[in-house]
Amino acid sequence: MTSTRALRLCRAAAVVAIAAAPLALAAQIPTDAWPTYHGDYSGRRYSTLKQINTATVKNLALAWIYRLNTSRAGAIVGGEGPDTPPAGGPPAVKSTPLMINGVLYFSAPDHVWALDARTGREVWHYAWKTRGGDHIGNRGVGILDRWLYFLTPDNYFVSLEIATGRERWHHEVANMKREYFSTNAPMIIGKQVIIGVGGDALDVPGYLESRDPETGNLVWRWNTTPRAGEAGAGSWPDEYSMSHGGGMPWLPGTYDPELNLYYFGTGNPQPVLAGQSREGDNLFTCSIVAINPETGRMAWYYQVTPHDTHDWDAAQTPVLIDGDFGGRPRKMVAQASRNGHYFLLDRTTGEHLVTTRHTDSINWTREINAKGQPIRNPSKDATVPGTLVSPDTSGATNWPPPSFSPATGLLYFGTRQAFSVMYLTDTDGRPQGWAAAERNVGTIGNALKAIDYRTGAVKWSRPLAMGPAGSLGGSMGLLSTAGGVLFGNDGGGNFVAYDAGSGQPLWHAGLGTNTTNGPQTYLLDGRQFVVVGAGDALYAFVLP
Amino acid sequence: MISGCSALIVVLATVVAGAQQQPPAPPGDPAAIERGQRLHVQECGFCHGANARGGSSGPDLTRSALVQNDENGRELGAFLQAGRPDRGMPKFDLPRAQVEDLAAFLHSAIFLNANRRFYKILDILVGDPKAGESYFAGAGRCVACHSPTGDLKGVGAKYEPVALQQRLLLPRGRILPPGAAPLPLYAQPTAIRATVTPRPGESVTGGLVRMTDFDITIYDAATGAMRSWLRSGDDPHVVLSDPLQAHIDQLTKWTDADMHNMTAYLASLK
Repeated sequence: MTSTRALRLCRAAAVVAIAAAPLALAAQIPTDAWPTYHGDYSGRRYSTLKQINTATVKNLALAWIYRLNTSRAGAIVGGEGPDTPPAGGPPAVKSTPLMINGVLYFSAPDHVWALDARTGREVWHYAWKTRGGDHIGNRGVGILDRWLYFLTPDNYFVSLEIATGRERWHHEVANMKREYFSTNAPMIIGKQVIIGVGGDALDVPGYLESRDPETGNLVWRWNTTPRAGEAGAGSWPDEYSMSHGGGMPWLPGTYDPELNLYYFGTGNPQPVLAGQSREGDNLFTCSIVAINPETGRMAWYYQVTPHDTHDWDAAQTPVLIDGDFGGRPRKMVAQASRNGHYFLLDRTTGEHLVTTRHTDSINWTREINAKGQPIRNPSKDATVPGTLVSPDTSGATNWPPPSFSPATGLLYFGTRQAFSVMYLTDTDGRPQGWAAAERNVGTIGNALKAIDYRTGAVKWSRPLAMGPAGSLGGSMGLLSTAGGVLFGNDGGGNFVAYDAGSGQPLWHAGLGTNTTNGPQTYLLDGRQFVVVGAGDALYAFVLP
Repeated sequence: MISGCSALIVVLATVVAGAQQQPPAPPGDPAAIERGQRLHVQECGFCHGANARGGSSGPDLTRSALVQNDENGRELGAFLQAGRPDRGMPKFDLPRAQVEDLAAFLHSAIFLNANRRFYKILDILVGDPKAGESYFAGAGRCVACHSPTGDLKGVGAKYEPVALQQRLLLPRGRILPPGAAPLPLYAQPTAIRATVTPRPGESVTGGLVRMTDFDITIYDAATGAMRSWLRSGDDPHVVLSDPLQAHIDQLTKWTDADMHNMTAYLASLK
């Protein structure tokens, strides 16, 4: 160990020793920490901090930049793969850093970093020797007491000591050779570490797991598609199709401690763009699911796209909203979904309350049925000569975390109006994989939207930046605050503070590349920091 | 499922799609894969189907966990030596080289299922060229800008059907000859154009490089230089115009049948 490393480790240990207060994981983000992926369990990404507000935000200034250091020299190295790192450019920050006791913890595929939250200096860096897997992104880490948890592209569930970055253990949780890969941020509820798998290149079944925080051993597993004879099995033609039916729960969910229910979205069914071998609704794919985190038993589900044939998973954050609906207070869950619709449900029972279109260009639905589900027009499935579909497979919105402000009553998210042609390439009665090719055509306008959670009505819509071929950007990570500010991007490489009430931009920083994660905020030494990732760097801003 | 795609990438992909980029060759020794395929059809196809996706009595091999986990025929060979007599799967005593060929074929089939950039688009010319011609002159209002004997003369010989279909929907960017230096989109005639009027100052028009709430950059073809302004509200005043606006408006109007007919019609203009 180099002396610098030793010094860093000592410093980190000291930082941790100072504060061992238990983390308050209530329905509100603590002001002096950001202890979970969403800051709290609600998925609202709303901070009560207001030092930075609509009046002061114009003075916001750069505090530090951390450029991702992926070098194994000086890093703590683990993993089962070869010594040579995989080819490819630097990873992008898609994880939301956790901030605990003055240290930020965040990840990118094969890497975890601890940074001094005051200065952006590296405290430690852990590098994983990968065996492979899709390195598309990593959403972040989970922390319980002294221990950090994360997932790798080659499907290892790894635990590190937060003070030093030293590895405690790792377990393989899915099979890379079957094209599973892992991007999820572990979500910790009590003594359950909840993780989900990803991957839809081969037709494999999805599952959500709880792992023991001490040993990493399996506590329970919930299959996102039924086995023969189980509830939902009637929505598939046969056991063969449902056991190859996908439904990957690849994003972290939200949690209501009172109801003791964990809410998450499931992925698209497989084969992805061809439904000929899986007639039926294909439960429990493309669904918002409520599950008991101790037992893994499902309390209810709501399928936002029955029999999806366009890759529009329902993994987007189910945002927990407590508020008025129909003249009485209600506990609700909202989702701005990839299929172009907004859904509001009662989160105690799963009862459907509202469905609206959040994006105008969508052309794939035949009707909204009595349960509020958009029903596809089968003529918009991929065909051999091509079908013109909007949105494209990336969806009208996607994984970047939305935000809900209880102060404005508005749900904020980025949208795209893209068109593409989908060509069926696998005409076999039992197609495999994606089974169709997609050719992007273009977009007719992307926007940042604010909608009234009670009605889905658009309160304001802000067009995103324009390039030579049309509208840029789309889905984006967002953060709203009690200071009346909404942090996001403009699709044109600027990190922007918008007025949460009107959508007017109040401040921006030209980062040159769009933000790639959910912005977060915390108070440290009496100063409110805002931290955001854009490409291969993390940026922190404070008031002077 | 997962999208790391920013819209910027989509825009670039739109341009590249026209260029018909050839994907790299899939992994594996083509000769071994072909030998393995012949062997599969001969020895295994009766039960497991000629394409290995399952047949009259045998399961799908491309979705088999055993096959997917196999390394170069090692696990497959061990399995074949023992068979699974209780399930009606006889043992096969194949030479090592043949087991490796068989594995090469199955792994290649799995790879081609899993990697969609290798998917081959099939015959898309199913439309009625006559109906396409009527739409061209009628409801499509294509004749407002295009002529089959003018700008579109020989267009069917110039582009493969898929590229032709992409370009009739939205012909953004040019397809460049192989090896030519890429021309930035903003320097091409199909780029969105911006007219910027500073106060005080003369109006300047050029290809739009980028416009945000805070700045605008255009490309002035006359000088070959970029010019930029900071923006504050409506100052400078900016007017955008899209030379492809008719195509953009049409995106929400196409029926798939009209699109197929139009593709067939344009493909017939050799």
